Amino acid sequence: MSDATSTVSTVSNANTFLPVVPEWRRTLNRFLGHRGLLMGSIILGLIVVLAILAPWLVPHDPYLQNISQRMIPPVWHEKGSWEHVFGTDKLGRDYLSRLLYGARISLTIGLSAALISGLIGTTLGVLAGYFGGRVDAVISYIITTRLAMPVVLVALAMSALVGGSLQMVIILLGLLLWDRFAVVARSTTQQLRDAEFIASAKVLGASTTYILVRELLPNILSALIVVMTLEMAHAILLEATLSFLGLGVQPPMPSWGLMISEGKAYMFFKPWVIAIPGIALMVLVLAINLVGDGLRDMNAPEGRN
Amino acid sequence: MLVFIFRRLLVAFSVAITVSVVSFMLLHLSGDLAISIAGPESTAEQVEQIRIDFGLDKPMVYQYFDWLWGAVQLDFGRSYYFQDTVMSLISERLPVTLTLGALALGLATVIAIPLGVIAAIKQDTWIDRLALTIAVIGQAMPSFWFALTLIVIFAVNLQWLPAGGNESWQHFVLPAIALGYYAMPAMMRLTRTGMLEVLNSDYIRTARSKGLNESTVIFKHALRNAVIPVVALAAVELGFMLGGSVVIESVFSLKGLGQLAWDAITRNDYPVVQAVVLIIAVFYILLTFLADVINAMLDPRLRVR
Amino acid sequence: MKRILEVKNLQVSLPTPNGDLRAVRGIDLHVNKGEMLCIVGESGCGKSMTSMALMGLLPKRAEVIAEAMYFDGMDLLSLSKKERNQVRGMRMSMIFQEPMTSLNPSYTLGNQLCEGIIKHKKVSKDEAKKRAVYLLERAGVPYPEKRLDQYPHQLSGGLRQRVMIAMALMCEPDLIIADEPTTALDVTIQAQILRLIRELQQEFGTAVIFITHDLGVVARIADRVAVMYAGQVVETASAKDLFADPQHPYTKGLLNCIPIPGKTLPGSHLESIPGVVPSLIGELKGCAFENRCSVSIGECCYRSPRLENHLGSEAHQVRCPIATASFQEAV
Repeated sequence: MSDATSTVSTVSNANTFLPVVPEWRRTLNRFLGHRGLLMGSIILGLIVVLAILAPWLVPHDPYLQNISQRMIPPVWHEKGSWEHVFGTDKLGRDYLSRLLYGARISLTIGLSAALISGLIGTTLGVLAGYFGGRVDAVISYIITTRLAMPVVLVALAMSALVGGSLQMVIILLGLLLWDRFAVVARSTTQQLRDAEFIASAKVLGASTTYILVRELLPNILSALIVVMTLEMAHAILLEATLSFLGLGVQPPMPSWGLMISEGKAYMFFKPWVIAIPGIALMVLVLAINLVGDGLRDMNAPEGRN
Repeated sequence: MLVFIFRRLLVAFSVAITVSVVSFMLLHLSGDLAISIAGPESTAEQVEQIRIDFGLDKPMVYQYFDWLWGAVQLDFGRSYYFQDTVMSLISERLPVTLTLGALALGLATVIAIPLGVIAAIKQDTWIDRLALTIAVIGQAMPSFWFALTLIVIFAVNLQWLPAGGNESWQHFVLPAIALGYYAMPAMMRLTRTGMLEVLNSDYIRTARSKGLNESTVIFKHALRNAVIPVVALAAVELGFMLGGSVVIESVFSLKGLGQLAWDAITRNDYPVVQAVVLIIAVFYILLTFLADVINAMLDPRLRVR
Repeated sequence: MKRILEVKNLQVSLPTPNGDLRAVRGIDLHVNKGEMLCIVGESGCGKSMTSMALMGLLPKRAEVIAEAMYFDGMDLLSLSKKERNQVRGMRMSMIFQEPMTSLNPSYTLGNQLCEGIIKHKKVSKDEAKKRAVYLLERAGVPYPEKRLDQYPHQLSGGLRQRVMIAMALMCEPDLIIADEPTTALDVTIQAQILRLIRELQQEFGTAVIFITHDLGVVARIADRVAVMYAGQVVETASAKDLFADPQHPYTKGLLNCIPIPGKTLPGSHLESIPGVVPSLIGELKGCAFENRCSVSIGECCYRSPRLENHLGSEAHQVRCPIATASFQEAV
């Protein structure tokens, strides 16, 4: 047949004639070239450093009450002073100090809850994706059921029964927010299940546990890290919501949600009492989301969209 | 098509049952309900009396089926706190929440879809960046904080709209904005990526090759295909909004299902909590089912299945 | 013979992160009324870019320059967007490579067949449908009336391509550009579709630019051929002359790659052209084919050859000074 053979070799890749750039350089360039990712990482890094160093940085004890120093406005206000940069709350506690300690709470809860839910979701998702069939059907059913449960409501009801505390909020959110991990782990595992490296590991007689943990997991990790950032942001927002409604972290802990709740009564005349912790929450969640979106863009085969 | 609908209904029904079992179990395992209801200052005899009065001394399985049998007949028992049956409380509150949800979803759709389409058409221009910035900030903002900010600005400073209550349509404006803004970013981004993908497709090139007007190409050929996944998302978001109404309704003291749940949770009124969780779950299931049916109608490839 | 399309020095470039991709580097082309011109070349040589530039379907970021781009006396590049839309679809139309994805999954075939003619010729829906049924039948689609209410996913790839062909003919265009319309199809269906395009082209007297990488296809259907390499036309001639008397080393190389039934012995070694196509990013120095050419001389490295008449005839032109010179020496 003349049809097939007259086809001439295809054009070479345009990159062939360009100097070879090492892989890490290209990753670094893509990282620096992605404005959102760069900005998100810088802000998030800054918040993490501030949170870790909070005990040495804070100008005042965040729990120290001083009734004579109540409701001092922040420094940019005409009645503000550099003594209390962000002012004080209704019990005279220094707002900046509480804000810095609040960052520790948000980050701790976000990270721990995302780790717990990541463990649950990934396990379920990988099992469903790898074994398929009946296992998949059962796990998919569990995921559907979980999605149908109103998270905020269930979390509120349970924490009302158990009593709010930092550990409680972490466990609660960890148990509730695993759905996206499961969905992503399931679909990425399905794509890799029939890959050659899995097949060759099977041929070599590797155990299923070995294949799942050592062969498969590293290959779906990048997708899971993206979910991890998004769920962290989700957990931080939910913690703030629970604390705002009085059913999360309990006073006198300086959770940002709790600070907004405590400032609510004063917000009409002193709007900064809710503005400051609210903006702090928004900036933290924004930074985490930017990192997550950026990592997803970098993972995508064509790079940036 | 009928078989498809029937199978989906069957799954939906069993998911609803499972949700009810899980929420029942979660509440009963989280602590001793009788102690929670009796309150901290009650004596052991009082707790025992409550246990018998509310039927909490019977085995859990018995309690569950007793409850389920009632639920199937739309009888959720009597509220511990409100002197009324759960059903009449719910039927009084549900319309408020459904109105709020519908308004919020309508608002989110009206903003998200045009914005997503414009952002996709004007990809990488300032309009696109602005739309993405709005979306990214929206996703980072805690909804309760946004609600409080709206109250401070529009109800207190500008005095355009009431801050709380549900006497007139004006009372629904701010809550609908607060709740809708929560769903808008995801819908906007999905519309945008969907449009970008579709605009690069071969059939759009075909449509252009026919010399059709740009508006015909975009609105007839591109939008319909791009919007199919957005419909599914909208249904899911509405389900989330019903769950998230707890927060918004309590901020705006809007007397809907969410606030009922909130009151019930803080007063250990478990029959009400359980009923609300089940009803919101059933709505979520119905909505996702509805989304599948609409999808099948919009996408002829799904219709034959 | 009247020319329906005349293109002079067409250039297309696309910005990429590594520099401008100059996909089309100065093409001269013309198409006579009612003839079948085949543009042949390997993938990446700019033949699809050329067709998209002619249709005006390139993405906005692509830069198109030409000394002239005349379609039936009209300068395509100076038309307004609206006028260009009027020409595209009504007077020139296109058949694409991918029948599986080139039809909108959400609309019926009838809707998609008729929308162009309803817009351009202001005919009624019924008239449009009548023409659609007639053309579907001519394109060999069984049960044409029934098809109007069907959706693309209900048809096989071969049938969809027949629908695309009918669609291209709806407005009785003067020129159809067919961009590898048979590449994605099974070999048996390929032959049917080729025959169909050839038949309809002759029946309706439509000029066709047929783009392909397959010389076998060219041999079957072409009136005239333009061979493209690295964004340029390297040889153009009538199909008969090109196969009988190829001049450019690249054309010769291509023809040597084809096994000839009866002549090429089973199991014998098939020739291929050594080397790879140069990168099309940035300026090219000298002849683009120099690095793969077996007859190149020193001057090929720095002097870009021009397209010159062979035997003093405009009908056969070659972009290779050596081929031209050695011929003159021989005479």
